[in-house]
Amino acid sequence: MREVYVVGIGITKFSRLEYPLVEIAAYPSIMAMKDCGLSSVDHVYVANMGGSRLNRQTALGSALVDHLSLYPTGAETIENGPASGASAIKTGFMAVASGVHDVVMVTGVERMRETNNLEATDFVASLAHPLAEQIYGVTLPSLAGMFARLYMDKYGVTSKHLAMVAIKNHNHALANPFAHLHMPITIEGILEGPEASTNNPFVADPLRFFDMCPVSDGGACLILASKDVAKKTKKPMIRLAGVGQATDTHCVHERKDPTDLLAVREAAARCFKMAGLKPKDVDVAELHDAFTILEIAESEEVGFFKKGEGHIALEKGYTALGGKLPINPSGGLKAKGHPVGATGVGQAHEIVTQLRGEAGERQVKNAKTGFSCNFGGFGNNVVALAFQKEK
Amino acid sequence: MKEQILGYKCSKCKTVHYPNRAICRKCGNDKFEIEPLPDKGKLLTFTHLYNPAGDFEVPVLDLGIVELSNGCRITGQMKIENPKIGMKVIGKIEKVRQSGYTSYKGMVFYKA
Amino acid sequence: MAIELEKLLRPVDNPVPLFPAKFVTLANGEEMVIRQITREEIPALLPHVAKLIQVERDYYDIVSARLYAELLGYYRYRVQDEYVLVAQINGHLAAIVNGRCLNPQVGVSYHTLALRRGLRIGAHAFAAKMEYHIDIMKQKEVLVVAESPIGFRRWMIEYQLEKRFEVAHELGGVPSYALTKKLFDRARSSLVVGRRPVPEKLLEKACEAILPPTDPPKPPFDLLAATRAMYDSTGTALRASRDQLEGGEK
Repeated sequence: MREVYVVGIGITKFSRLEYPLVEIAAYPSIMAMKDCGLSSVDHVYVANMGGSRLNRQTALGSALVDHLSLYPTGAETIENGPASGASAIKTGFMAVASGVHDVVMVTGVERMRETNNLEATDFVASLAHPLAEQIYGVTLPSLAGMFARLYMDKYGVTSKHLAMVAIKNHNHALANPFAHLHMPITIEGILEGPEASTNNPFVADPLRFFDMCPVSDGGACLILASKDVAKKTKKPMIRLAGVGQATDTHCVHERKDPTDLLAVREAAARCFKMAGLKPKDVDVAELHDAFTILEIAESEEVGFFKKGEGHIALEKGYTALGGKLPINPSGGLKAKGHPVGATGVGQAHEIVTQLRGEAGERQVKNAKTGFSCNFGGFGNNVVALAFQKEK
Repeated sequence: MKEQILGYKCSKCKTVHYPNRAICRKCGNDKFEIEPLPDKGKLLTFTHLYNPAGDFEVPVLDLGIVELSNGCRITGQMKIENPKIGMKVIGKIEKVRQSGYTSYKGMVFYKA
Repeated sequence: MAIELEKLLRPVDNPVPLFPAKFVTLANGEEMVIRQITREEIPALLPHVAKLIQVERDYYDIVSARLYAELLGYYRYRVQDEYVLVAQINGHLAAIVNGRCLNPQVGVSYHTLALRRGLRIGAHAFAAKMEYHIDIMKQKEVLVVAESPIGFRRWMIEYQLEKRFEVAHELGGVPSYALTKKLFDRARSSLVVGRRPVPEKLLEKACEAILPPTDPPKPPFDLLAATRAMYDSTGTALRASRDQLEGGEK
């Protein structure tokens, strides 16, 4: 297996972007090509979840190569729910590692705000089991709410811990020009003040408005290359050291212990094994905090903290910028935004930015090893990636 | 005819699955017998969803996961005043969703 | 002659109690004052509303166009029994809500315009308006309609407003819904928040001047981008606006 390097990166602001889906995909792709100085690639993978339903556009891979005038380069779209982004990176990794291609472009893109947010929520809910979950009106926030209730009951996590995740990630996002929400929030305003119930109402009890990620548009791109090509680009050598993916039951209720995220545990373990790393080697991580509770739960499942101790690490400030292991320095899905198909690529973009030392005010000092976890379904398809800086 | 939610019992290892699947997740067998699910169970977890999908004309949708008396679990709606984790519940088959002209029936849990 | 004609055209407002100013702490810790403004302050609002007429998303265009007309109608004495409440953060305009009294028992809600988003400012402002009608003017019910699906979701479904379809609402003649005293009491915990009296300094700052909104919704660079995007999938015409959007952030 050949070694695979990230040579070029590009991203749009995660926000409401009022231009067509393929344009949102093209912009970061051009940025990434300029970043590494390559004008052609061997293959294009586009990660997208909702183009067909939200934007009436399918076959985005073909649309993007045409828009970038890259034809006859091969291209395809990869859909794996909210984990589409990291799935596409993994596919690109396999293409380069196997020797089939030398340079591949992986672009994640989503335009969710073309419809209203009721439609968008209903669209994301389509990844739940159609007969055993969807007919009851199960949405992702409701699954997260049920998960959170049990988790809080079992491990002593409180609403205040959840609010602390939100406040931390909102603060991180202030230093990220690409983040959707540039808005500091306070514990008084969202939880303890007299007006908190209106500022931060319940969405899926015990989860509230500020426990949820925003609905965003956005795109991000990574260009992966073999070692020979990477050396020629003269960019910092950031190696995609490990990829790991695992699945779990479709219905949340079928899991033996509904507070376990086995797919996260397994994906991370596979990823670390391939990379020859341990969780303690990680300097900076991007975890999939579509709901605040998930950052706490994932930080335990991937092995950073013991089960039931993630919220204690949070309390001690370990996971904030400047702490022992900063989690979501970009602001995470919570504040950076969550354009579903682009999220996994966006996470990888942040890790590469951190390892290159180009993160500016939100730079994690001496970051050498980074990790990202992209969570699809409600934990039924998870892709983990590990990155390392060489020399 | 009494309306029931059907479980799928593996003909070999007798594990009951809900919803159905093509291969038994315990023993790998691909033959199942239909077995109606019991209606009694205990509430495992729940949520009050304040922004249900556009076709629900209710302000709040109560959803829960219940462990039925045969050990099988099911997600359903709830009509319970003050739900508590671990409380005993009983399920009834009712209309749970109206999507355009199509209506869906499913399990709604009440306090036992 | 002209003066007499104006006298005929100009309605005489019925006396009603004024809305006592209140303040709320927002999610970001900032304090927002909600207060009633006088006719003389209307011109300070108009330019900020006018700009939003160009924002053709989330119904900002139609709401601000109609609100502009209502504010002007109030200022120039062409609407009877209208009132306008504003929400301000450090003096900066954050929301405008208005309505009028149909008769002593029934109020009509006009518009809720949030000039800053993401902090549930609109929800606070709408709640203050309902509080004014039911608690302060002691009315029996308020007629409400929604112009956006989100508004419909929030008000008609969340608060379960009663149907008053026999009454055509003043906004476009569409069937009305009503927030009754009973429904209001049920939702009191979320509809009546905020504290009184407003600390003197805070109120002074708010009354001193209505400052421009700090982060108002902006129109897309290409005014028709949102509409055209549906039909122009290659987006060639939108290329320039994209570059502006990406390059021109803050």
